[in-house]
Amino acid sequence: MTTRIALAVLHARLYAQRRIVVYACVAAFLAGFVQPDGLAAPLFLCSLLGITTALAQSPGLHPHLDSCEQSAPLFGRHLARAKALVPCAAATLAVGVYAVAEALRGTPDVAMTFVLVLGAVVPATLVALSATIRRGAPRVLYVAFAACVAIAAYALVSRTHSLIAELSLCAIVAFVALRQYGEALGRYDPI
Amino acid sequence: MLLPMPLLRMREATFGTGEACAGPVTLDVERGERAALHVSSAREAAIVAAMAAAVVKASSGCVLIADYDPHVQSVACKRVAALVPHEPFTLNDDEFARYIEYRAELWKLEPRRARAYAAELRRQLADMHEALAYPLIGALIGMPKLLVLDRPQPVYAQQVLAAAGECAVLSTHDDAAAARVFAPKALHFLKAVES
Repeated sequence: MTTRIALAVLHARLYAQRRIVVYACVAAFLAGFVQPDGLAAPLFLCSLLGITTALAQSPGLHPHLDSCEQSAPLFGRHLARAKALVPCAAATLAVGVYAVAEALRGTPDVAMTFVLVLGAVVPATLVALSATIRRGAPRVLYVAFAACVAIAAYALVSRTHSLIAELSLCAIVAFVALRQYGEALGRYDPI
Repeated sequence: MLLPMPLLRMREATFGTGEACAGPVTLDVERGERAALHVSSAREAAIVAAMAAAVVKASSGCVLIADYDPHVQSVACKRVAALVPHEPFTLNDDEFARYIEYRAELWKLEPRRARAYAAELRRQLADMHEALAYPLIGALIGMPKLLVLDRPQPVYAQQVLAAAGECAVLSTHDDAAAARVFAPKALHFLKAVES
């Protein structure tokens, strides 16, 4: 996959979903400004926003983009990587806005919170992407699994207080989720 | 001496899932040919068109697009064949310009040339409703050798075939009269084999 294609997919989809991205950022800013100190609120809120933006990649919401991508001369795994960038970028933006709001409020350890939250949000978002090309129970299962990833990351940080442990777990989950999404998208028939 | 393969060869090609099924379809489309396929339902027409453009893969039987097998060489197939979906695109001018740029990026075309070609096609298809012209223009800017149309409007047949130029055209229809408009010669009017 070339950078050109990845940027094109990112640009086209972020533009088409600009309202969702703006709403996510506004929600993150408001929550970041009023929430009490702690990791639970930003981690779960931003994971929820990441899952929401991932589900916004479902086929049918932007038919002209879907039709274009399905008939484009790209391998499924290449398209999957490019499409995965979109909710990850939107979720990262929301986490960044949350961190900015926290910094404005004078919350300590904003940088550490940013890294911990981002570490959980990205794999949750990537797991939720697999739900976009499924229907019924498998779709619900993937969304539930994405929520479980966020809960597991939070539990790990709360118990071990280890950034390395959380990031390691999340990196493994994110890698497997992206591979899984690529394989599923390669076999996906849009009928 | 080996004879050249047809641009599109389908042999007993079927698609089947729990809800949707189509075929078996057997046909050949040569370079520059106009062919129309009449099938029994709109759903089947959409599936056969998607199979012919390598957007979906046949569950059984054989589909070859310019000698490439969509199961293993889908990227090469998609460079040869372009699908024009039945559903119109409701885009404004700005969104259409973005759509053309997006397509140009995905097909690795030179954006300025793609925009110019799209504008030329838009002028050529001035009489056609823009919502129906946009998917066709998007498909043609990639310079495909085979244009696959899913249930195109018969009223615009002349404009569509003129815009396609030397590109081979296969259209799928759930209406026999519409199929005849796109491929009036009996030779080119194909009927899916009833299963």
